[in-house]
Amino acid sequence: MLQIKDLKAKIDNKEILKGLNLEIKPGEVHAIMGPNGSGKSTLSNVLSGKKGYTVSGDVKYLNKNLLDLEIEERAHKGIFLAFQYPLEIPGVNTNIFLKTSLNAIKKAKGEKELDAIEFLKLVKQKASELKFDEKILSRQLNVGFSGGEKKKNEILQMSILNPKLSILDETDSGLDIDALKIVSEGVNALRSKESSFLIITHYQRLLEYIKPDFVHVLINGKIVKSGGSDLALELESKGYESLS
Amino acid sequence: MNEQLKIDFDKTVESLELSNENIESRKKNFNQFVENGFPNKRIEDWKFSDLNQIISSNIDNLCFHSDLELSKVDETIFINKFTHNKIIFLNGAISNIDFSHEDETKVLLIRDLDQNENFKEVNPLVSLNNALTTSYIKVTVKENYSMNKPLIIYNITTKDLKSTALNLKTDIFLEKNSSLKIINFFDDNSENNFINIVQNFDIAQDAILKSYKIDHKKNSNIKYCYNNINLKKNSISENFIYSTGSKFFKNEINCNLNDEYSSAFINGIINLKNSQHHEIKTNINHLAENTKSYQLIKSVLNDNAKGIYQGKIYVASKAQKTNGYQLSKALLLNENTEFDGKPELEIYADDVKCSHGATSGNLDEDAIFYLMSRGLSNQQSKELLINGFLLDAVEKITDLEIKDLIKNMIGITE
Repeated sequence: MLQIKDLKAKIDNKEILKGLNLEIKPGEVHAIMGPNGSGKSTLSNVLSGKKGYTVSGDVKYLNKNLLDLEIEERAHKGIFLAFQYPLEIPGVNTNIFLKTSLNAIKKAKGEKELDAIEFLKLVKQKASELKFDEKILSRQLNVGFSGGEKKKNEILQMSILNPKLSILDETDSGLDIDALKIVSEGVNALRSKESSFLIITHYQRLLEYIKPDFVHVLINGKIVKSGGSDLALELESKGYESLS
Repeated sequence: MNEQLKIDFDKTVESLELSNENIESRKKNFNQFVENGFPNKRIEDWKFSDLNQIISSNIDNLCFHSDLELSKVDETIFINKFTHNKIIFLNGAISNIDFSHEDETKVLLIRDLDQNENFKEVNPLVSLNNALTTSYIKVTVKENYSMNKPLIIYNITTKDLKSTALNLKTDIFLEKNSSLKIINFFDDNSENNFINIVQNFDIAQDAILKSYKIDHKKNSNIKYCYNNINLKKNSISENFIYSTGSKFFKNEINCNLNDEYSSAFINGIINLKNSQHHEIKTNINHLAENTKSYQLIKSVLNDNAKGIYQGKIYVASKAQKTNGYQLSKALLLNENTEFDGKPELEIYADDVKCSHGATSGNLDEDAIFYLMSRGLSNQQSKELLINGFLLDAVEKITDLEIKDLIKNMIGITE
């Protein structure tokens, strides 16, 4: 699904990713762990197309050159980034945003767009699965949402848009145990043979709920070690120091 | 210009069958205008909008007299979302009045130009209006009467009107404990005209005015609108300006909070493209204790448009416990746009709460990235953010029908 070869990314002339290699196959869940400043968020930004980086290397997504695609084209082709800090968008109703987003993706795929009634039915179902109070969806997007509500809203968007490759950027930060469980269940419900996940996190805690197939350690812009889910436990006890 | 102006003035006065007293007063005002001419940037209130220059570069041979035959009003432009009363100004003349939704003993209409009390000479444009007003209407809403339906004043111009100055005047009197919702709705089909409107509102004790102005249709006219609002005890004036259609539009509001517990709200949107140039200028005068004013102006500027908000809050020494607030926010979507904000507080009382704020900037790139990462195009993302930016000013409109009407015009969907 995703092949990354020798990915380098610079911002303001500072090199952050320094030759990263990674392959994700359909149905796999990969976790990337690493200390602060190692380039985790840069990786998720570059994969979803954020402007401002000078990028080189080769990234193939579904056999296409990902780096040539615009931000929204990546979304249309099934890439989803759950933000570490979801933005507050004043004046934009959450439901309208969700519907605009879903229909933009459906339109790009040549599928039939949902009307208001079909959409509300879908949202209702997904919101209740995530134990997400629907009332919040009639409010302005993320404005005045608690940290947990913002993260749940990201997972709700993910489950409505049903992406092929989901990138979760520190989705566990700022979540209490109950919210963490709900969010994890939401992610697990989306696991399938066709959909893959890239989970970026500091801590092993999230990985107790979402069991990864592979764990990679990112330090100073490169993956320095890869392994199975046990690697996360090892990191938890020994820290990153032992690897750098 | 002055020679032609004199001929046009004589023609206009001759055509109107006025009392001698009226003619004398018009002559005085006329001379005042001739002496000063159109305001230019050397006058403080006009430093961001040099009207003299704007008129001379947009209108050749401005004519001050129009003898156009009344043509038929295109009824398709009427607002059909709700029933309403109508006053129709067509090319500067009153073509139709319809108050069929009201008790006729409760709403008094006067059209006699001789009964129009001339406005004090606050500036040359008001003097010009005093001198050349061809159409006048005074609406009085009687004590304890709340109008059943809103009143829409349609200001329509037709294609055959060119390079002409129109001077219109309305007086609105709300007697004690009465209420009125009024929309000034512009439908400009003419080219390169100068339209000069003076409106006076006298709001008696416990009365409520809701006054909305909609300049939506794209047009090449140059407009100035002067509103004077006098508020008595415990009365309310709510104003909203949707300023987006004309080549140039300056809305000036002078509001006097004369008695205790009166309050004034002035909110608005300036949304411009190409080389449009719009200004909102307010003077809020707190002249008694416990008065309140609130202003929120949101501007969105594209291409090489120019937007201006000059808001002044004056608090007299006896106006203790005043609560005054104003906020201006502007989005500049292009480096060629210009926004000028001039907040002014002039406070002579010591126990008051007054604040003002102004911001201007571009759209948040991170917000655009967030929306695009959800599949929206760059254009869609920007539109959503712009509409979201404008929405909180529109939400200040307390009349739901009119709020929806304006939301629809802006393209805000819910």
